[in-house]
Amino acid sequence: MKEIMQYINRDSFLHRMNPLSKIAAVTGIILLSVFTTDSAVLGLLVLGIFLASLKAGLHQELLRQLKLLVFLSLTLILLTIFTLKSGETIGYLIPAGTLTAAGLVPITTGALDFGTVLSMRFFAMLFSFQLLVVTTKPSDLMKALLEIHIPVDYVLMFVIALRFIPSLQVEGQRIHEAQLARGYNPGKGIRGKIRSVKPILVPLVANSLGRTQVLGLTMDMRGYRSRQSAEKHRLSWNRTDVAAVGFVALMGIGVLITGIM
Amino acid sequence: MIELRNFSYTYGTADTPALKNINLEVQKGELLLVTGHSAAGKTTLALAMAGILHHELGGKIEGSISFKNRDIKSFDGMKELSRHTGMVFDDAESQLIFTTVEEEILSGLENRGHPENEIQRRLNEVMELCEISHLKHRAPHTLSGGQKQKVALAATLALDTEVLILDEATAELDTQAVRKVFSVLKRLKEAGKTIIIVDHNVEDFLEIGDRVVLLEKGEIKALKSPSDFAAFIEDSDLSSNGREYSRPQKEGQPVISVKKLTQRYGDFTALDNLDLEIYSGELVAILGENGSGKTTLVKHFNGLLRPYSGNVAVKGLDTSRVPINELVKHTGLVFQNPDNMLFEDTVEAEISFGLTNTGISGSQAAEAIARSLELVNLKGKEKVFPRHLSRGERQRLAVACVIAMQPELIVLDEPTTGLDAEESDRMMKLMKRLQQEGHTIVMVTHNMQIVKNHAERVIRMVSGKIVEDSANEIPGSLNKEIERSEGKCAEGGVAV
Repeated sequence: MKEIMQYINRDSFLHRMNPLSKIAAVTGIILLSVFTTDSAVLGLLVLGIFLASLKAGLHQELLRQLKLLVFLSLTLILLTIFTLKSGETIGYLIPAGTLTAAGLVPITTGALDFGTVLSMRFFAMLFSFQLLVVTTKPSDLMKALLEIHIPVDYVLMFVIALRFIPSLQVEGQRIHEAQLARGYNPGKGIRGKIRSVKPILVPLVANSLGRTQVLGLTMDMRGYRSRQSAEKHRLSWNRTDVAAVGFVALMGIGVLITGIM
Repeated sequence: MIELRNFSYTYGTADTPALKNINLEVQKGELLLVTGHSAAGKTTLALAMAGILHHELGGKIEGSISFKNRDIKSFDGMKELSRHTGMVFDDAESQLIFTTVEEEILSGLENRGHPENEIQRRLNEVMELCEISHLKHRAPHTLSGGQKQKVALAATLALDTEVLILDEATAELDTQAVRKVFSVLKRLKEAGKTIIIVDHNVEDFLEIGDRVVLLEKGEIKALKSPSDFAAFIEDSDLSSNGREYSRPQKEGQPVISVKKLTQRYGDFTALDNLDLEIYSGELVAILGENGSGKTTLVKHFNGLLRPYSGNVAVKGLDTSRVPINELVKHTGLVFQNPDNMLFEDTVEAEISFGLTNTGISGSQAAEAIARSLELVNLKGKEKVFPRHLSRGERQRLAVACVIAMQPELIVLDEPTTGLDAEESDRMMKLMKRLQQEGHTIVMVTHNMQIVKNHAERVIRMVSGKIVEDSANEIPGSLNKEIERSEGKCAEGGVAV
């Protein structure tokens, strides 16, 4: 079983970056992708992120999300075709002559553009966030988030959510096996998927909820509320840090200026 | 150090108190053992002594607790108390917050603001002490249950608090690991720490204990010295009554036939060229330390795993060819944690799930449900919500779900983990009964006591290999005695 969204212990240039600058860059990328509607800017962002992952040898990690992202993109584009009509009409979803003489659901360039922009936003956000998570130790991530004064409760929530992804995967697998041992055979396809929800999800959720108390108490006993941080080895900024944050900032400024003019 | 006076406690949602009128004083440097059956109030007492009841859980509190001669209420929450008290809980998984073992142990140390070189020194010391240095960079979900417990223990030990409370913290450890924890605790005690061990089985720690508290229904039933307590359990030992052992027939086709079975996960060889045959009517125990391949082996018995190489046949059916929903009609596998399978709204529905899956319905199903509930002693609970049952009852329900399907072979993975002596004994009686009804029983366990008292054939595994396969001498000799006393001819071997 492959783990998703887990720290990968390696020594790439992304690993060596300061967690704070990575957080700044990712925040910048997310903001940029929300504010810009220029597909060229977005394309550049996605390309940049992918090239960075290629250099760090982590592109496989990103490509694993491709199936999900392509599915998401197609859905988004389809949705905009249905809901947005602007620009030139380049065809019909239901071609002319099939149901009506003129064709139904026109596909407009405006809809296609907007759908593509929406999809690329997701690509940029998810890819950059994933790179942040797989290249930063959770404890470093936590320290960095605390350093920028994010309340400790929220930071812990975030770190724990990440930490339990693979545990839930393992547990889901165990529950699946236990149900298989009872002769459960949900079948294939969508119907099988829907039928398998209850026997797997109910124990999974119930077990997770049952776990929260011990988890909370453990954090208390380890002294998270009374944290007295003594950061002796602050991670220093290196050239990559400056370059990454600088690049994102530059793009932001560029978008701002073109927006104003 | 800790003093409870007329202390009673009722959980917010409960009607009856979990602890009643407890008077107890724990001295500095004392090692106190707390034991009792399930729901006797052991965990509640541990939470009380840590200050968690007062500061985190609320509920109805009567009487008082003082910690270091100060009212425990006057402390500044767990923030302040956690500087003095460390606690390890039974659910190891939930105590691991980070993605590597090293980070887990460091987390507490860094929160306390120790200097860097001190942190490193403690990290290494604690990892060595708990024998987890080799797991340093591993993620928690890749560890076994026992390893997780070691890490949870190490993370708490690293804090070096003056009071240490262990609540069922060694349940999943094998004998060797428990012995290690024993020596660690012995050293800590010598260093002047106050230690409280809460467990339904404290026998392993009697030697270093100062006093044993026996809880029953929320009250202190007895407060004994370890030697008195040892004598006390000797008297009430359940293992002394005689048992009948039916002789397995080692004839005809084996129920399970394993030939040259190898299983690999990546580079790791979990099973290494195994040969094994299990015959109808046998009661077999598979023993081994954590990670020796026991569970991996039994997952082959119903097709959950398919051989990497070699061959496994269940009643002559090759598991690599026959689909799993066919194999489960012959092999019923009950996993360690019943909560991983219970999802329906009633006990009845829970059992009928498996029956429906194998095509049994109507009056035939109703009959199977009634019969299996009677066997596991849960009659009258048909309409109960499964998760409202006690741990032992849930475990028995899990068994009922499997036996309702009438498989010839029943495999139980750690059937007694998390159960107290009484419940464990009930579980083993059930196994015996099923055997008498003609089922073949295989249980995977690291509980030596259970094996000694109940199994007829013992298979011992070490790193994916069977190193011993023998008749269990104690039930064997007992068996002979029974046969002799009944005037039967004890020809041939017993339970080979």
